[in-house]
Amino acid sequence: MPASQRKHRRGGFSHRCLPTPQTAMTPPAGPPDGGWGWVAAAAFAVNGLSYGLLRSLGLAFPDLAEHFDRSAQDTAWISALALAVQQAASPVGSALSTRWGARPVVMVGGVLASLGFVFSAFARSLLHLYLGLGLLAGSGWALVFAPALGTLSRYFSRRRVLAVGLALTGNGASSLLLAPALQLLLDTFGWRGALLLLGAITLHLTPCGALLLPLALPGDPPAPPRSPLAALGLGLFTRRAFSIFALGTALVGGGYFVPYVHLAPHALDRGLGGYGAALVVAVAAVGDAGARLVCGWLADQGWVPLPRLLAVFGALTGLGLWVVGLVPVVGGEESWGGPLLAAAVAYGLSAGSYAPLVFGVLPGLVGIGGVVQATGLVMMLMSLGGLLGPPLSGFLRDETGDFTTSFLVSGSMILSGSFIYIGLPKALPSCGPASPPATPPPERGELLPAPQAVLLSPGGPRSTLDTTC
Amino acid sequence: MRALPGLLAARAPTPRLLLLLQCLLATARPSSADGSAPDLPFTSLPLREEMMANNFSWESHNISLTEHSSMPVEKNITLERPSNVNLTCQFTTSGDLNAVNVTWKKDSEQLENNYLVSATGSTLYTQYRFTIINSKQMGSYSCFFREEKEQRGTFNFKVPELHGKNKPLISYVGDSTVLTCKCQNCFPLNWTWYSTNGSIKVPVGVQMNKYVINGTYANETKLKITQLLEEDGGSYWCHALFQVGESEEHIELVVLSYLVPLKPFLAIVAEVVLLVAAILLCEKYTQKEKKHSDEGKEFEQTEQLKSDDSNGIENNVPRHRKNMRGRERMDDGSRTMNLFPAAAVSQLSTVGSHCFILQWLSLLNFICLICVVS
Repeated sequence: MPASQRKHRRGGFSHRCLPTPQTAMTPPAGPPDGGWGWVAAAAFAVNGLSYGLLRSLGLAFPDLAEHFDRSAQDTAWISALALAVQQAASPVGSALSTRWGARPVVMVGGVLASLGFVFSAFARSLLHLYLGLGLLAGSGWALVFAPALGTLSRYFSRRRVLAVGLALTGNGASSLLLAPALQLLLDTFGWRGALLLLGAITLHLTPCGALLLPLALPGDPPAPPRSPLAALGLGLFTRRAFSIFALGTALVGGGYFVPYVHLAPHALDRGLGGYGAALVVAVAAVGDAGARLVCGWLADQGWVPLPRLLAVFGALTGLGLWVVGLVPVVGGEESWGGPLLAAAVAYGLSAGSYAPLVFGVLPGLVGIGGVVQATGLVMMLMSLGGLLGPPLSGFLRDETGDFTTSFLVSGSMILSGSFIYIGLPKALPSCGPASPPATPPPERGELLPAPQAVLLSPGGPRSTLDTTC
Repeated sequence: MRALPGLLAARAPTPRLLLLLQCLLATARPSSADGSAPDLPFTSLPLREEMMANNFSWESHNISLTEHSSMPVEKNITLERPSNVNLTCQFTTSGDLNAVNVTWKKDSEQLENNYLVSATGSTLYTQYRFTIINSKQMGSYSCFFREEKEQRGTFNFKVPELHGKNKPLISYVGDSTVLTCKCQNCFPLNWTWYSTNGSIKVPVGVQMNKYVINGTYANETKLKITQLLEEDGGSYWCHALFQVGESEEHIELVVLSYLVPLKPFLAIVAEVVLLVAAILLCEKYTQKEKKHSDEGKEFEQTEQLKSDDSNGIENNVPRHRKNMRGRERMDDGSRTMNLFPAAAVSQLSTVGSHCFILQWLSLLNFICLICVVS
């Protein structure tokens, strides 16, 4: 009986092993919102093992530069390439998971990333490292991040932004753990052994993928997309809200990643010593991580519509960057850099609040069925900015002599992106009576006329905007 | 440092004559209301022949002491080529300058000649000049002022230090590696590399294709070793030769075989495979449980399954009917469940206790593997 009623739905491949989810006859229930909480742990680990590991990888670069007799700049390209591949190829990951379900895609991505590390452990030249770490591991991570985070959004509704914020702290926690561990590996096994063992550690992405149980929700398309192009979800761009969001995010991406690269050199330029600069970076990172959780909890209370929170925190991040750039020259090497420290905290808090909102607002814009594809597209958009932002900032610094202009320009890009977010529905306070705050954030997409809207056909229904006065 | 006014004729005085001059100056001290400059009112000695004839550069250094100095004052001077050296010590005291006994020592032996003593106001000056030609003249030169206590100033002459790597260099069999030694602002005459066999230092010969010694700049040297074998590991010494001495530094090379990281790698991979298997099995097990309990059961039992279902075994909503039941189940589940996996796990345990044990077993296994690896 179950077999006859089995419907070919999303994730059909993996369902040969698992009993099917609910039948075609009954519309499935909404997100379980907390059941199978392992998904949050899985997303946390995924974030840690991809972004967190990438951040700590810089510890191995001096050894690599020495071994291959190349400059530090050449080795820095390894992580730039890995990050670029990971973000730009994210839509591929989300497309594949739309076709086959998040679980097998993430498991394969874990194996691929691990193979990249193992291959690079045997590298004979820097080119092998670019291919192994940059291309292979980057592609593996691309297959992993968007499906995991998208699936997480699907599992929660009332506590969605908190869950996303919790998952996003994975990268900070992992940097704290992996950085000393990596140093230990480098001291014990040299860089080859360290890369080999990092491959084994990266393989833990596969059990994380295994934890992502397939879930069927109302709003899922009844059939998986036929063509690869449709699977990419480009049809989402026909929605006005998502296009606005995409444009704003692309602009924000241009400025968002600059502090990751340039906050420490900026602190050093301002006259702080090595430890002072490290303190500034640490304080920003801690503020960032804490704010992700707090803002996640806050957003879930539903007091303020998510698009409005997004615009507000985006604007605050841009202003924070302005302050960081404009902070006057601090004392000498001995000072603990009071004004710059305060500015870094302000920046960290707002940037941390912005991060989970970017993913949390997606179900409201595209409906729960398209969240995975939307996540992939968002990553790709941010990657465009991430590729342009830091080099532009470095160029400005070389031209003007310090980082003030760089931070001002980055802050302006973020502010303009946030300004564009005002065009999102519900971003501006409406003049009519406010909707009751206790309702959970809409997961069906307030813009979709009906829950069963087919998202992927090109002639999909246009979104209806919430009218404000 | 400062040019000293020369009063005496340029004659080469004998050591005894010098001592006589010293005594004369000492006795003349109280009466000399010396109007010369406060810094170094020396009647300078004529330069000795070798100092005049050579074209070495001059190094001048100065130490100030007072009667209250609690610690000996030291000055470290780095020297790499032969030089003429001019050392000056000045001592300020409120007591009687005549009662102060001034001596110079190199390392621990007293120096007899070639130093001058003079005084102005309440400060006593002494100056010692010599030439450093080779390593015999390098070392520590000290000036002593003895009243009741002895005050001492020391000039330490050393060759430039070499910097290698303070951590061992780790490499693998079949790989090639480069050992680097460098020093700041120095130009050694010669660089040599030694490897140690036990405690014997053996110079590294330039064997074909195995060892290559070169350096892009004069202040560094690189030893490249190709086709590493495990026996190539050990201590290596880089040795810099200067006209005034030698300097060396030690670098440790460790050569590992690929088996060394391979064992922890395989252990971790095995643990990952176990984890994946545990997760998949656990899921299958709870679904089988679902199937058994679903078939022909009463409502109460499915009520109990509500809480397990919200653990995400949503998949097992019974096929026919129970659309309604599914919704109720979901609502209750979302109310009773919370975010954290601990609660989810405890809920699981009410039904899938074996599954729970499986998962914790795999975690324990992971911890044991970590212990084994470390």
